[in-house]
Amino acid sequence: MRKLVILSLLLVLGYFLLNTFAGAEFGKDRKVLANYYLEKSPSELQVANTVTAIVVNFRGFDTLGEVTVLFLAATGMGTILLRRRSKHTGLNPMRTSPEASKIVQAAGKLLFPAIMILGAYVFIHGHLTPGGGFQGGAIIATGFLLLLISYRQFKVEHKYVTWIESLAGLTFVSIGLLGIVLGPHNSFLENFLNVGTLNELTSGGVIALVYIAVGFKVAAELTGILDTLVNIRETGDID
Amino acid sequence: MVANPILYIALPLFTAFLVPLLAKLWKPLVRIVPGLVLAYLAIMSIVLMQQVGPDKPIITMIAGWKAPWGINLVFTSFSGFIASLISILAFFIWLYSFKFKKVEFDDAQKYFILFMLLTAGSIGVVLTGDIFNMFVFVEITSLSAYALTAFYKGRDGAEAAFKFLLIGAFSSIMLLLGISILYAYTGTLNMAQLAMLMPQVPMKAKVVSFLLFFVALGIEAEMFPLNGWAPDAYSQAPGPIAASFAGILAKAGIYALIRVSYTIFDLGNDGGFDLLLVMGLITMVVSELVAMRQENLRRMLAYSSMGQMGLIMIAFGLGTKEGIYAGLFIMFNHAVIKSLLFLASAYLVYYTSRKKISDLDGFGKLLPVTSLLFGLGAFAIVGLPPFSGFWSKLSLLVATADSHMEFVLATILAVSVIEIIYYFRVLGRLYFRKANKEIKVRKPTWNSTVSMIVLAIVIIGVGLHPDFITGLLHNAAADLADKAGYIQKIIPDLFSQTLN
Repeated sequence: MRKLVILSLLLVLGYFLLNTFAGAEFGKDRKVLANYYLEKSPSELQVANTVTAIVVNFRGFDTLGEVTVLFLAATGMGTILLRRRSKHTGLNPMRTSPEASKIVQAAGKLLFPAIMILGAYVFIHGHLTPGGGFQGGAIIATGFLLLLISYRQFKVEHKYVTWIESLAGLTFVSIGLLGIVLGPHNSFLENFLNVGTLNELTSGGVIALVYIAVGFKVAAELTGILDTLVNIRETGDID
Repeated sequence: MVANPILYIALPLFTAFLVPLLAKLWKPLVRIVPGLVLAYLAIMSIVLMQQVGPDKPIITMIAGWKAPWGINLVFTSFSGFIASLISILAFFIWLYSFKFKKVEFDDAQKYFILFMLLTAGSIGVVLTGDIFNMFVFVEITSLSAYALTAFYKGRDGAEAAFKFLLIGAFSSIMLLLGISILYAYTGTLNMAQLAMLMPQVPMKAKVVSFLLFFVALGIEAEMFPLNGWAPDAYSQAPGPIAASFAGILAKAGIYALIRVSYTIFDLGNDGGFDLLLVMGLITMVVSELVAMRQENLRRMLAYSSMGQMGLIMIAFGLGTKEGIYAGLFIMFNHAVIKSLLFLASAYLVYYTSRKKISDLDGFGKLLPVTSLLFGLGAFAIVGLPPFSGFWSKLSLLVATADSHMEFVLATILAVSVIEIIYYFRVLGRLYFRKANKEIKVRKPTWNSTVSMIVLAIVIIGVGLHPDFITGLLHNAAADLADKAGYIQKIIPDLFSQTLN
């Protein structure tokens, strides 16, 4: 009965949402924000990838916020998840699967450097090609995930994760604060470097620097989260 | 001194990323540096409040793009007042808690990071002029709140945090859907431009998205029946965090709700305000009735807090200038008084995990200062003169009488009697019962005592001489009511184009 009531309420909600979204004309030219961004991103910022221009420059403040959200998720993870770890074996009881086969281990080792390079490529070229700091960072984290599942004894050094996380975050905020001091409008996160020429690696001014910082930060945080999930370190209350 | 509203966000974020490195240098820095930053922000608030006036809001561009192309921070008499309140309160909550020793070092470090981000996120919600940016800050605020709820790593704490997380995630989805409907119909995210374009949006879309916002922000603002997270979160979180939930988190939530209903949606006279009024009334009555039956001191305070939030919603739901004024006054008082009550109660229930009211017998003699401050807070929150709570309740009663809502007025008075009963029940135990001999008490540290006494001085000071604050409140109320002025000051070019 209770489920039926919930289901019918959800249906009503779904109906109204569908109805509302059906009424909106997506892709219609509203001449408000989209056109302005399409026009200004190549001309004033010299950034070929408009999405990156929006994410890092026009709405860079949101990106700083999202990076902080990820930071919080990584920090809060340990507090919300109850810590379980066997007192006898020192291993997480949920992690009882046997060691991965030699083939997986060898392939993992082989792929790991390639994945690192791909990830770095994606975030360094964020202003030129599709992708950017978040995507590149996530790719790098998958490299570590590969090692975590192939080698049971593989551990991520939390010391380094903390350092990379903090330094990358500080770089992002510092670039923002430098914008107040050096930028032409004295505003936070503003570009204060030479924007260069469209389609070159050095174009876009601070955008590339911010995305590199974001790339490092996301990689460190996601790796930290993965490691927390598979390898909970503290002894808990489960024997 | 550099006074720029962006520093409210940039400095705490910078410090939050810096704290893990400071810990490697010298451990006490982890406790001290956040306090220095919060002190700077509190002083900056005072400086900025002197610069801001009814006709000259401080609008800060971000990334060098003017509104509506980029995100901007809008520090007006209204938003600035709430932001200042939050930042000053945050400093005193830090002062109360910076020496606490109940946990290990790693956890203390997390505590200060999370507390800074909770403050920065709440101020961001209040100051931002962009609706999606508001969503980002709501996320920052709620994520830090979940983690802080589970701070004492017990089973109950984890359960409370998980409940909070589920409800909060639901709230985020609703908020995001509401924002995307608005974006789909108007093509902008700037709040001023949204307010300007709102007449073009079809009524149906407007209502659906308003309801989504109302539910999402109602969760943050502890509106009944969406406040299931609050009693558990308030009772499981550390004392100073419970204080900041009442004084900081809930204030940001109610601010967002008010800003969205007053400035963006044009539904005030189409039932938007009535919805706020009715939900406020229900929230108040239900919460106060439940509060009376609580055995746990923290839960009682939590329900009382929700009751006060109901009172604030009623005040803003009246839709008149007097109502806004009363609502702001209650917001101010609730932030200060409820923080004092939570801070004092943390010492009253320091050694009992169940935090029972019946364990408080005779604490008036054991902990004279803390009990006295708690009593003062209780007198103020129920609205007895000469404390500040009296003036805010009086202004609300006058506002309801002016709007000819006799039923609402009678209900508020009746509920006040309930409030008096359950607060005085606690005071009776504190002062008129004999203490249990074996009971262990924890004396407050000097810094917590100073912090609580400052809050008490504010309560008495505003109570004896309300003119300290009424000028600010009148400016803030006028600012919120002036929707056209808000649009005109933020996007003057577009505003004048539509007039021609």
